[in-house]
Parts: sequence; C-alpha cells; structure tokens
Amino acid sequence: MKTNDSNMESGLADRIMDRLCLTPAAVAGIILLFVIPFIPPFNQQYMIRWLVAAALIGANAIAFDFTIGFINIVNFGYYAFLGFGGYTSAILAVNLGLSPWIGMIIGALFSGVLGLLTGLLTLRLRGIFAACMTWFLGLAMMGLITKMVWLTRGPLGLRCPQLFETSSNLPYYYLILSLLIVIYISTKWVTRSNMGLAFKAIGQNMEAARTSGINPVFYRIVNFTLSCTIAGLLGGFYAHYYGVLTPELLHTTKTVEVLAVAYIGGRGSLWGGAFIAFPFIITMELIRSSLSELPGLNLIIYGLMLMLVMIYYPGGFAEFFNTYLAKPKNRFLRYFLSGIKDS
Amino acid sequence: MTESKTGTVIVWMKSAGGITVTLSILIAIIAGIDSGPYIIVNTIVTGGMLALVALGLALIFGVMNIPMFAHGEFFMIGSLTAYYIFTPLAEYLNTSPNSLLAATAPLIAILGAMIVGAVAGLLCELLIFSQLRKRSRENWVMNSFLLTVGLSVVLINAHQLLFGTEFKGIVRYWGGRPTEIMGAFVSRDRILVFVLAMVVVGVFWLFMKYTSTGRAIRAVSQDQTGALMVGININGILLLTMALGCALSAIAGAGLLFLYPSYPAVGLEPLYLAWFVVILVGLGNTAFALVGGFIVALIKALTVEYIGAGWDFVIPSLLITVVLVFKPSGLFGSEVRGVLDL
Repeated sequence: MKTNDSNMESGLADRIMDRLCLTPAAVAGIILLFVIPFIPPFNQQYMIRWLVAAALIGANAIAFDFTIGFINIVNFGYYAFLGFGGYTSAILAVNLGLSPWIGMIIGALFSGVLGLLTGLLTLRLRGIFAACMTWFLGLAMMGLITKMVWLTRGPLGLRCPQLFETSSNLPYYYLILSLLIVIYISTKWVTRSNMGLAFKAIGQNMEAARTSGINPVFYRIVNFTLSCTIAGLLGGFYAHYYGVLTPELLHTTKTVEVLAVAYIGGRGSLWGGAFIAFPFIITMELIRSSLSELPGLNLIIYGLMLMLVMIYYPGGFAEFFNTYLAKPKNRFLRYFLSGIKDS
Repeated sequence: MTESKTGTVIVWMKSAGGITVTLSILIAIIAGIDSGPYIIVNTIVTGGMLALVALGLALIFGVMNIPMFAHGEFFMIGSLTAYYIFTPLAEYLNTSPNSLLAATAPLIAILGAMIVGAVAGLLCELLIFSQLRKRSRENWVMNSFLLTVGLSVVLINAHQLLFGTEFKGIVRYWGGRPTEIMGAFVSRDRILVFVLAMVVVGVFWLFMKYTSTGRAIRAVSQDQTGALMVGININGILLLTMALGCALSAIAGAGLLFLYPSYPAVGLEPLYLAWFVVILVGLGNTAFALVGGFIVALIKALTVEYIGAGWDFVIPSLLITVVLVFKPSGLFGSEVRGVLDL
C-alpha cells in the first residue's frame, strides 16, 4: 500500500517535471543555483555580480539558441535588439518617470516589433542575408544612438534607475535566475508544440518542410519575433541592473559572446547554453581578473573554443552529455540524469 | 554593328545596375560642383581600395561559399606587415636617402604584406575550413560564417595581445609635393596607391580571364561537381582562391597604411564597407565589385560631407536595406543561385 502511494506521488512529480520540461538533475541544478550565493566562495558581492552576468548570458544564450538551433538563422544583431529594449525602458524611466518594471515589458514589446519588421524584410531571403541585415541593423542603431545625444546622451552613457532600492546584488540574482527559468520553460514549451516541430523541420530541410505544407516565412518570423522579444526583456534587466547604457552595448562582440556560449553549450538544446554559461563565464572572469596584463586573452579563448566546437564537436556540451553522461548503468543515477524510468 | 552596340548599352542603362551607375556618376558630378572636386577624388581613391577588399570577399563567397566575416582581419594583417617592413626601411632611408630603396621601399612593404596575407589565407583554409569541409557539409554557409566570426575574434585579440593596442602607422610612403587635380590637392601617395590598386585589379582580371588556373577557378565557382568531373583539383583551387582573396585584402591594408594606422580593430570598417559593396552588387558577383566599391565610397563621402561624420554607417545601412527589400539578388544580379531559398 505504502509503495503504491509513493509511486503515485513520484508519478505526480514526474508529470510536473515533464510539464516543466525539467529532469531531476535540472531541478537539483536550479536548487543549487538558488542556494549558491550563500556557499562560501560565492557569497562575496563580486561573485554574485559574476553569477548575475552568467545568468544573463545564459538567458541570452537560450533566446539566441531558439533561433539558431531551430530555424538555423543567425541573429547577428542580437545585442541590437537587446540594447533597443534596454534603451526604450531606460528612456521611458528617465524622461517619463515610468516604473522600470513596466518599462522592461514595454522595451520587450518594442524589441519584438522591431524584430517582426526585420523578420518581414529579411526572413524570406537566405539565412545569410538575415545574418547580414541584423548585423547592419546593429551597426546603424549603434550609430544612431551615438548621434542622438539629446535623447540617449550618446557615448557618455545613459544613467537609468535601478530596479531595487538596495546595493546588494542578491535580489537581482534571484530575478535574473527566475527570468532564466521562465524563459527556458516557455521556449521549451514552444519547441515541444507543433510549432516547434515546424521550426525543426525548417531548420533541417527547407524543401521537405515546404513539401509538407509548412510556410517557412511565417514560422521563421514567429520564431525570430519571439527571440527578439526575450532579448528586449533582458535588455531592460541589463539597463536597470548595471544602471548605465552606452552605445557599445549594441556592438557585435557582445553577440559573439552569446554565440560562443550557445554553441559550446550545444546548439538546439536550449538548456546547454544556460548550463554552460555559469562555469564558462566565471572561468572567463577569473582569467580576465587574474591575467589583466594579458588583455584580450579571454576573448581569444572564446574564439578558439567556438571554432573548435564548431569543427570537431558541433553538438557541444549537450551532445556530450546525452551520449556519455545521461545513461549510466545505475538505475537511480539514470533516472536522476535523464528523467527516464525503466518500465 | 555600332547600332546594336548602342542598343545593348541603352538596354543596360535601363536595368537597375545601369540606372544606379548613371545616377551615381550624376550625383558625384553634382556634388563635385556643389562642394568641390575633392569629393570625387576622395571617392575614387577610397573606392579603389574598397574594391580590392570587396573583390576578395566576393571571390571567396563565389568560389568557396564562405561568407567571410574575418576579411577585415586580413586587411589588418596586411597593414601590420607593411608597418613592420616599412618602418626599418624608412629609418635606413633617413641615413642614406638617395638609394634605390627610396622608390621601391613601399612596394617591398606592400609585396611583403601580400605574401603574408596569402600565407595567412592558406593557413586558414588548411587549419579551419578544410577541416570543417571534411567533417560536415550541412548548413555549410551558416557554419562557415560562424567559423569566420570566431576567427575574426581570435585575430583581433591576438593582435592586441602580441602587438598592443597603440596605433602603428606611418606618415607617408613616397611623400613629395601634392599634385593638383581639378583644383583639389591630392597627395602623391594617394595617386600612386590608387594606380597600384587598379594595376592589381587589372592583373587579377587578366589572370581570371586568360590563364587556365583562372578558368578553373571560374569553373569551380559555377559548378563544383562539374569541375570535379572534368578533372580540376578542387582542393588546390579552393586553397588558391582563399590565398588570393586574403592577399587582395592584405594589399589594400598595406596600401592604405598611411591613412589607416594598424590597430586591432582596424579591419572592421573596411569589412563593413566591403560587405555593403558585396550585397549591393549581389553576393558572389566579382565582376561588379569594382563598380560597387566606387558607389559605396561615394555614398560614404556624401554622407560625411552633407550629413556629418558618424552617420556613415547609418545611411549606407538604410540604403542596403532598401536594396535588399526590392532587389535581393543585388543591383547587378548575382550568379549565385537561390537568393530566395523559399
């Protein structure tokens, strides 16, 4: 009787986890991330700052991977959309005194609309055109923001109000972590639905997808708009966390960072980038702060890692995990890592 | 005979490309009258160099299907090499001015840059692109594009790490009194460098048109499988193309050293502009890259003159957007199939 009961319970837990697209290991990881700011080496304020940066990159990597891993379009101006959302939110807060919370949402909507317009223009063309166009868009917007000093204060940087009235980084960490989880679950839901199936079909074989009656332009635009909306939301967080925005934010090097994390994490997995962002960004920050006499070394590592992963192991960490780690002999471990129970 | 020739010219004038070229020339003349002929001179000098960079970019895309994002870094490699070759030579010249070196030192520097650029291109092809080609041909364009992104980041930061961020530039190559052309004073360096660029373009054109290797390159760009069947060594051609494209970019970097001192991110601006050119004329269209170079240089010169510095990315980007919306295959049409992959 008792065993039956526990089976029922675990069945419910499984169903909830399945609904949330999480495995037991992922739940454990999330709990670890929630308590990590209290574990000694990480309870310093600068460490929490790094954790926030890592979570932000991780969330960006999910949104980025949502486009590149599924419909095979590189949004090379990703940070232009992020910066657009951030600037919108910051300008609303500074000039109209709007609450940053509402501003973030409006920024997200603005970025989404911009993404929709860009998508309408470019996504009917070959993927490389979309990459170039978003890249040029980023350049043009960077130029515009630098020049529109009366609105954005140009290169001087736009100061914007913070989200929380505290100097601690902890509330920001929990906010971005929650955002990360919400973004992960919602994108995962979309990719699990029929629409996600269409995305994958388009990304893998355009001809076959069109033959099965999928309108590639429509699905590409939906996907792109969604990704840009998330970028805008995270841009709002960026603005109101760091408190200052400069046109440099829209530069492509930032996008390359997200691109590298998304690829190393595993293209098309969504969770890979979010997972790998934490160890990766913290290692990078350590390298940057300890080897400050060698500027640019961390970026060289970024570039090399990106190239090596792309050539020799295109699946990234997610594929490594799925082939070697996810299915150990031990039944309990296997359930823990992959969420699959033996029948 | 002459009538049919004028007929084809008129037909061409009515096409998008013809309209653009005619309009550009007209606008250039009007701007030249309005605010001085230096606009035209500037356009022609920067356009020549831009054409070199864009030519390499178009060649690599047309033959190898690689949208090269790291092309500006070969510009940077070229300018860096030229700096390190030319500076010691210039110091030697200060002690013994009237030697034969005075006229040839810049040429030696540019030649050295060309060789280093070509070798760098070879290494990239051997170490990176051929490795990817061996392993996967799926989504080749997108994957190779991302690879070049990584390459660009590595090269920029390697420059910063090894040579520092300071500007490594020279004041002049040949020097001498500026020459007066149409009322504008143009330094001799600019004229000679422009002549050099045109000579390089001419040699390149002759090479592509009349040598068997050039024919093989064109064959590969049209149909790789077909080229393989008639016994062309594809890998060799790809290596050569990469070396050629990168060498062209390095020559441009070395030639413009007196205008653009070498620093880590020096290649970004030529890269953007070269991409504008390539999209404007149609991806992979080598023949019109030259024309496109002048058009983009004109747009940039006009923007700086009439709207102000700092807008020179905004306006060209908007124009390119318009081109992409109405003529995605570029103004002069493109031989690369499937612009609309839908």
